[in-house]
Amino acid sequence: MATIQRIRKTIYVYKYFVIIFILIGGLMLYPLIDGFYLSLYQKNLMYPAKEKFLLFGNFKKLFFDDPMFWLVFKNSLIFTVASVGFEYLLGLSSALLLNSKHVPMKNFFRGIVLLPWIVPIAVNSLNWKWMLLPEYGYINIVLKVLGFGNLARGWLTDLKTVFPTVILVNVWRSFPFFTVVILAALTLIPKDLFEAAQIDGANRWQTFRHITFPGIKGISFVIITLHIVWTFSNFDVIYLLTGGGPLHYTEVLPTYLYQQGFHFFKIGYACSIGVFIFLFLVVTIGFYFTKISSIQEAK
Amino acid sequence: MRKLYLLIIVSMVILIMSVSVFSQTITLQVWDVFDPVTSPDARAREELFKQYEEENPGIKIEHNVIVYADLHDKAVVSGAAGSGPDILHMLGEWIPEFSMMGIIEDVTDKVNSWEDKQYFPDSTWDVAFYNGHCYGIPSIASPRVLLYRKDYFDSVGITNAPTTWDEMKEDAKKLTRDTTGDGKTDVYGFAFCSSSDAIRGPQEFLPFLWQTGAEWVIKENEIWKPGFTIDQAQEVFQLYYDLVHTLNVCPPGSIGWGYLEMDNAFVVGQTAMCHNGSWMQHYEENAGEIFKNWGGAKMPANENSATYFEVKVEGIGKFSKNKEEAWKLLTWLLAKDQMAKHTAGDNLPSRTDVISLPQFQEDTFKTPFLEAISDGKPYPKLPMAESNKLMMNELQNVLYQKKTPEQAAQDLLKGLEDILISINE
Repeated sequence: MATIQRIRKTIYVYKYFVIIFILIGGLMLYPLIDGFYLSLYQKNLMYPAKEKFLLFGNFKKLFFDDPMFWLVFKNSLIFTVASVGFEYLLGLSSALLLNSKHVPMKNFFRGIVLLPWIVPIAVNSLNWKWMLLPEYGYINIVLKVLGFGNLARGWLTDLKTVFPTVILVNVWRSFPFFTVVILAALTLIPKDLFEAAQIDGANRWQTFRHITFPGIKGISFVIITLHIVWTFSNFDVIYLLTGGGPLHYTEVLPTYLYQQGFHFFKIGYACSIGVFIFLFLVVTIGFYFTKISSIQEAK
Repeated sequence: MRKLYLLIIVSMVILIMSVSVFSQTITLQVWDVFDPVTSPDARAREELFKQYEEENPGIKIEHNVIVYADLHDKAVVSGAAGSGPDILHMLGEWIPEFSMMGIIEDVTDKVNSWEDKQYFPDSTWDVAFYNGHCYGIPSIASPRVLLYRKDYFDSVGITNAPTTWDEMKEDAKKLTRDTTGDGKTDVYGFAFCSSSDAIRGPQEFLPFLWQTGAEWVIKENEIWKPGFTIDQAQEVFQLYYDLVHTLNVCPPGSIGWGYLEMDNAFVVGQTAMCHNGSWMQHYEENAGEIFKNWGGAKMPANENSATYFEVKVEGIGKFSKNKEEAWKLLTWLLAKDQMAKHTAGDNLPSRTDVISLPQFQEDTFKTPFLEAISDGKPYPKLPMAESNKLMMNELQNVLYQKKTPEQAAQDLLKGLEDILISINE
């Protein structure tokens, strides 16, 4: 009787998860498994009759026969590391400022700082594209007005500036997330720790190193991990700003995947790129977790 | 109580579903690029849709306006998923790839039995046909011309539009100048598209290639081969290089421009010449008096004259559930009276009985376009996505001075040969 009641209770609890599992399975698992499956085939939407099973043929082509892949992979790594790095630094700095008692109108600035993140990505990217125009873009006009006209250029057409510019736009869009999360973590650090440090004569750097940073380390790890995943697989910002150009200078794996799949219709090959992105992220994040865990265990 | 709520919700769902199943309203999804906000022809098309709905109770038209680049991708994605619109507006160059993908309906029998077929020139049907099958009705047929500012020409003493490449380069040089006296050049002689994602870039590149006497591809014994030599491609790359670097007649930062940047630069008066189409007439409303200074002429020639003849086709989606109704709407929309209304502003109609109407023949802005039709050539009839990308990449390599025109020409030929191998397989 007790067993039957326990079973009924378990079913009662878990039946609410069934819908979620079905949704996750349908929306995530099925495309993932289908993507793996298609990556094993030579499949071109224009030649449906020429579909054939290659096993790892697409991956062999990707790693050994496609010179564009390594360039694009390198771009993805640089884009991810630079974006996440600067987002964290900017997010941390702004969170520390917004948590400081010396900053007036804190609540107002806490709201304003969210704006880049709230604006839809498409609106954001297209606005930046117009602002960065060489002749009529707002950025160049302001530079000229301030007497820095020699710095004005085609930010998205100059090969030297296009990649840093795209990184800048991505950082501007994403750093508010770091700010908000780190700010929340800062408010949870007990105030008496700072008072005790002040009494002990600790300077600002010592306070940050021994009290502030340990207090936000855990959450920092989580948001950096999330942003590595989001940034490495980011498509929309680069696609809307430059389309991966000029001359593939801003081409990253997601835009390359899109081109192969939806411009050249090589669905099998595009899926192999998708599988690579997925596996690379799983391995990288897994390694990251393992490293962090072993450091924490050592402490 | 919870069971009662569940019963009510399930009953409502069944009721809504049964209403939609038994409803007599057929919704036709039309995907095109005609934006009523910016184009008078698009506004006329919207009015025609409303008229059709009034004349055909039970038909509702859902009009989706999508820019060309996104329209292509959306058609591909939805087609791959087994869905799509009832009526799809297409560029002629999409017909080969869409028909190979099986996402557009073969309407050969319908077209052959359509009494209005005779009013469309064979050159436009050529674009709508692929491998002997017809995939739509040509709706717009317009060549590209050299669009130029007559007032700028007058101010530097040029009396006629250039007729050769050399004249074009000379005129562009004269037209590039400082007009405000601040010591900085503010008008440039020429602009073109070179964005790697541009639809317009290849449409400008190909006429230059044709003007050297070459073709992009030729078919020999059912095998596609490149239709140009390295020298011919090099000549075209050299022209672009000269315009940007030797003569400095293009706006700074214009490398990588798409059609929006190029069209806007001409509209605001930053550039004096560009290759463009009849849709520029939709700026007439906003440009005001300046529009009267816009002139058009046949594209300057090299070995021969040639221009891109753009034919746009409206077809039926393969996965449409209302093909008969879609065909009825399409043939009504492209009938003489209706076509005359929705191409009166900024497009050129494909029907001979419409283009011969006084509103088109007497419109001075349209005159150079009508004269250029005889030089017009459509896109090659094979999937062009990869070769378009190759073309623009090599062009950018030249413009960014990563390759010489000769190196780019060699790589263009080699790259095209590689692409044609998979097409020929």
